[in-house]
Amino acid sequence: MITIDNLNLHYDKTAGYNTDKKETSTQVIFDLSLTINEGEKVAIIGPSGAGKSSLLHHIYKKLQASAALCSQRQGLVDNLSIYHNIFMGALARHHWLFNLVNLIRPFEQELTNVAALCQQLELEQPLIKKVDKLSGGQRQRVTLARALYQQKSLFIGDEPFSALDPLMASRLLEIILKRHKTVIMVMHDRELAMSAFDRVIALDKGHLVIDSQQQSIDQQKITALYQTSAVA
Amino acid sequence: MPQQKNIHYPLGYWQNITLSIWLIALVILPFADIEIISFDPFIELSRMLNGLMTPDFLATEYLFQAIIQTINFAILGVFLGLVLGAPLALIYQHPIVSSCCAFLRAIHEIFWALLFLQIFGLSPITGILAITIPFAATFARVFHDIIIQSSESPLESIDSRADIISRFTYGKIAQVMPQMMAYTRYRFECALRSSAVLGFIGMPTLGFYMETAFRQGNYSEGSALLIIFIALIGTIRYWCPAKLLAVYLVIACVTLVDIPSVDSSLLIRFISQDILPPALTNITTLAEVRWSSLSSWFTTILWYQAIPGIIATITLALVALAATHFVTLNVHALASKHLWPAPLTWLGQLTLLIGRSVPEYILAFIFLMLLGPSMLPAIIALAIHNGCVIAYLAVKQSNTIAPQQMQMSKFNQFNYHIMPDIYPNMIALIFYRFEIIVRETAVFGILGIMTLGFYIDSNFSEIRYSNALVLIMFTALLNVAIDILSRRLLKLPQNSQTSC
Repeated sequence: MITIDNLNLHYDKTAGYNTDKKETSTQVIFDLSLTINEGEKVAIIGPSGAGKSSLLHHIYKKLQASAALCSQRQGLVDNLSIYHNIFMGALARHHWLFNLVNLIRPFEQELTNVAALCQQLELEQPLIKKVDKLSGGQRQRVTLARALYQQKSLFIGDEPFSALDPLMASRLLEIILKRHKTVIMVMHDRELAMSAFDRVIALDKGHLVIDSQQQSIDQQKITALYQTSAVA
Repeated sequence: MPQQKNIHYPLGYWQNITLSIWLIALVILPFADIEIISFDPFIELSRMLNGLMTPDFLATEYLFQAIIQTINFAILGVFLGLVLGAPLALIYQHPIVSSCCAFLRAIHEIFWALLFLQIFGLSPITGILAITIPFAATFARVFHDIIIQSSESPLESIDSRADIISRFTYGKIAQVMPQMMAYTRYRFECALRSSAVLGFIGMPTLGFYMETAFRQGNYSEGSALLIIFIALIGTIRYWCPAKLLAVYLVIACVTLVDIPSVDSSLLIRFISQDILPPALTNITTLAEVRWSSLSSWFTTILWYQAIPGIIATITLALVALAATHFVTLNVHALASKHLWPAPLTWLGQLTLLIGRSVPEYILAFIFLMLLGPSMLPAIIALAIHNGCVIAYLAVKQSNTIAPQQMQMSKFNQFNYHIMPDIYPNMIALIFYRFEIIVRETAVFGILGIMTLGFYIDSNFSEIRYSNALVLIMFTALLNVAIDILSRRLLKLPQNSQTSC
């Protein structure tokens, strides 16, 4: 589905995004080669600053047409309700006139769909509530629901459970894995990454250091990765 | 212990700016005409105070109609301004659109009204258009600023295959709606002021009756009208909640005084003859143009009206800037909850409300009655009005600051914690208002202060429309130049939301 060959990425500190310009930026990904096939469930792990998000956003840019992104920069519209924020995932499926009317007066069918999705994601809040009134964990689930509501075959997530408790995280992960053919996800919980995904990729300081199938994960190597980085 | 001598401690950035404002004002003060000419201001003052104590609410014959018309012009002006201005905000980045808007914005409502008065007469169209045009140009700019300052991240997370209308409404418009609503509400207040001021050139709004009352020395009637006007502005949020706007719009259309039919021949005559320079009237081909007479006509206006007018306008504006700074600091301290117990700050807030509600034009008019014709009434009026507007915004900001968790007196707390926190923003606001001060300064000409507006007004009354138009162009260009210059010189945080 995607093959990356000798990728080098730079991060522009002043602009705050990935760039090709070399002068004002620092390199975050070094000569990285990687192939991800359709149907795979891939977790990306690594200590902070390893370049995980940069790599993920690069992959998203290549696969934009078929992918739903659940970014750390949530991009929720504070002034809109939970319902409208989640509905934003479905904008591409409808005519603009439908979307405009829905902004003023939600459609029954969409309301039912969104309500069902919220229930599944354990988000028991009135749909009319504005998202700026929600807690960090609730906002994260609204972001997640919006990505799910895009109903794509590929899910790309950047630590979508960082503000949730581990048990809820594994329940929600199960839903995501079940609903998408392919999943590429940056995980901060490496235990969960190793147990729930087919394939685990580890980055360290912009280099690909581990790429293994679930059966052959070298536990010690991963632990060591986090320890050395913590010291450095 | 070795004695430390002359530790270098230079003035800070904001101290330098403050000093510059005052230095400039002091240098040009000798050139400003600030003589008190009135023979006995105290007799007039005591009569005015007496009038203020005994307001006569029943003296004005058409009071109710005047209030309704004031509100009607404001509502219809803001509504049409939104209809025209909001779409322009989407294409404002185009240099032609933005410079056209800057030009239209730079011409004051009163000058627009004076222009339309020649075409439509005292018809409501004149009043509504005079508000609509500058307001549309302002909405375009401010909405554009609000939209580009909003976060991009919602757009990033929307499926890129969704159509542009859906992406834009959900990702941008929904996000900035509260800010745009708040700004529109604020502009409505400005429109009410403008609408009242249009009365001074004859439109049937509150200002018309106010001017008549003050000019005839009926101070009881005048003060009653002022009180009504301040109350009207102070209570906008009660009588005009957002939900009722549509209702008010319908009422405004229904209760508008009859619109007399527009005489199209008048319009054609105005465009094809009246506004043309004398050298260009009654000619049919380019060959007939008498260039020497055209250029001498233009240089006469330039040397005897435009340049003296511009100098007076800038002099007045710069002195008023320093005076505004003075008023801002004092009035802010007066209404700060960090200095006074609550009941006293309410009194301060009331002062702020009165100061910012009364249009500077009316303030200047009152001081003109007291002090006689010079720049002084205009300076005082500008300082009071703008100082109160800025202090109002500053108080809003300083009241959100949590007091220090440290034992110190309120006075020390105010000087060491509150003022340093809000001062940069306060100065930024003062500089943003400078553009507005220049704009207002031109208008004082109608009261007889020899700024650009004075020459424009005299040309209108002498039916030299072509001269007036040239001077209006100069006024607009001056405003545009100051706007560009101040943006270049001062790299202040971009925040145009307070312009009025």
